[in-house]
Amino acid sequence: MKILNNLLRSGVAALAIATAAGAAHAQTSVPLVESGSSLLYPLFNLWVPSYTATHPGADITTTSTGSGAGIAQSIKGLVQIGASDAYLSDAMVKAHPEMLSIPLAISSQAVNYNLPGVTNLKLSGPILAGIYEGKITKWNDPAIAAANPGVALPDHVIIPIHRVDGSGDTFIFSQYLAFSDAGWASTLHYGTTVSWPAVSTAIGANGNSGMVTAAAANPYSIAYIGVSFADQAAKAGLGQAALLDKHGEYVLPTAETIGNAASSVAASTPADERISIVFTPGENAYPIVNYEYAIVSSHQPAPAIGSAIRDFLGWALNDGNNMSFMSKVHFLPLPAAVKALSQAQVDKIQ
Amino acid sequence: MKFRPFRVSVLLLSLLIPAALVAVVFFLVAYSGQAILFNGLHFMTQISWNLGDLYSDPVTVSGISVPPGANYGILVFIAGTLASSGLAILIAVPLSVGAAIFLAEAVPHRIRPALSMLVELVAVVPSVVFGLWGITVLIPLIGRYLSPSGNGYGLLAASVVLALMITPIIASTLYDALLQVPKENRESAFALGATHFEVVAKAMLPMVRTTLIGGIVLALGRALGETMAVLMVSGGGINILPTSLFSPISTIASFIVSQLDSAESDPTNMSVRTLSEIALVLFLITLAVNATAKLLSSGALNVRKRQS
Repeated sequence: MKILNNLLRSGVAALAIATAAGAAHAQTSVPLVESGSSLLYPLFNLWVPSYTATHPGADITTTSTGSGAGIAQSIKGLVQIGASDAYLSDAMVKAHPEMLSIPLAISSQAVNYNLPGVTNLKLSGPILAGIYEGKITKWNDPAIAAANPGVALPDHVIIPIHRVDGSGDTFIFSQYLAFSDAGWASTLHYGTTVSWPAVSTAIGANGNSGMVTAAAANPYSIAYIGVSFADQAAKAGLGQAALLDKHGEYVLPTAETIGNAASSVAASTPADERISIVFTPGENAYPIVNYEYAIVSSHQPAPAIGSAIRDFLGWALNDGNNMSFMSKVHFLPLPAAVKALSQAQVDKIQ
Repeated sequence: MKFRPFRVSVLLLSLLIPAALVAVVFFLVAYSGQAILFNGLHFMTQISWNLGDLYSDPVTVSGISVPPGANYGILVFIAGTLASSGLAILIAVPLSVGAAIFLAEAVPHRIRPALSMLVELVAVVPSVVFGLWGITVLIPLIGRYLSPSGNGYGLLAASVVLALMITPIIASTLYDALLQVPKENRESAFALGATHFEVVAKAMLPMVRTTLIGGIVLALGRALGETMAVLMVSGGGINILPTSLFSPISTIASFIVSQLDSAESDPTNMSVRTLSEIALVLFLITLAVNATAKLLSSGALNVRKRQS
């Protein structure tokens, strides 16, 4: 396998050098390939046409394959930019110290519910953990009732919906549960896939669109849905739950509360930017927020490739990081301090 | 011996296909070797599946580096695969036998080619289309009228979608075989005073029995390996064995697809190796099914030879 990887890598490198050399005659363009997160994919698809319009000769292909595939392909050198909703783990960084996790935007996630007759629902990490573990099975459970005084909760079984495919949404959702519920943290941890406990009413759905469809089709269900699909979820008549933040308040996902979460972590973000924005201590800060990452190797096989990546990511962090792009996919731009850190990481790419 | 370029090139080309098969098996065994060692035999009989904590430092278990908490048991997925495919066959066989007899015996000759082409057309509809139909039509129907919890995802939905996908396979094989039944058999049965039903049931169906079995086994092969449509409607059951028609399930093929992306971010690579081991299990199951099909359909060919 190692030999195969090396062969692939050197093959890709040779190809890249060859095309780079060939392009030097015609035009100074290096083909870049982006692959990974289906959440980041729509943003890249907005970025690339604007970038190529102002940078003739730029040649960037975008593909939506999933965060894990984006990370794996970027490490193998099969693609130049891996897009991921999750940063690289410590073990990954130890094994591949040349790989950088560079935040490009702020994303978030809603917990949606299909609960006939209820329009304002408050939930906390421990309640959600109980529901997904099968310990809280009815909507009128005392724990839910205590968080929702005055709300007429139905005496009906809860249908918890989770993702079957590996997903950055599962990553940040399980982080919220792990960071706010010790029981969940010690048994189920967090990750892009979770070993979902046996709950007979649970449903696994494929992709965010599958989550919306399954939640809409099943009254009394609950689901976590990425912010890019907020419009579809609203159209399907799903409610958005206010979630308990670390400060002890129930917070709805709005530009303000998501921004509060992002800015509360901006100062403490380390130089390698591998940090969670889930369940941050900030005031009025929505608890399920995350950086969207580009996973890029700092050692590219040819200088021309390195400079092409630097140019594009530098543009994405500046011209690309404004509301005209972000609002279309419900993302938020990076805080200035984080932008500077990302730029410093981009400058390391050789 | 004279060098024959045509013979040599054809020989090389014909060797490519068995070589590809051997290469796939070799790759699967070699790549999953460490996983086979780590998982042992209880791999097949355990219910709990956990990729482990991919974001903590790996731990070493009996000399093999794995994510902490990693525990791979695939009984749920074997059960889901066999249950959904078996149920699909149960639904599809009566449907396709009926359809084949209708096409061969009851349809006016003028519209028969059009109808049989329609049946064959269903066989080439991409599986994702069946999955979409399942999500938008079938699941709400099951949820509203059949499922006690109102949840339409699960074993029944997966089986019905699979049944629709394999019905044309069985129906068209059987239809072709029914047309091959010698006119003499049919007419002599009529001459003996048999009713139309008796002619079909007693003079024709026994002659095509082996073809029917071969068709069923081929359809079973398709159902066992189906991925996308099942992933969309099965409810993705994990850590729980199906107890009713409305239980969420996962099949081996759909489960591999759903886990691969997360497995790729496993620094120890054990997750991907284990998925390869599961692929090996699926490969062995489908191989067994196909070998049976081969045996049975060679028997079916003998029947046809006798007829001609």
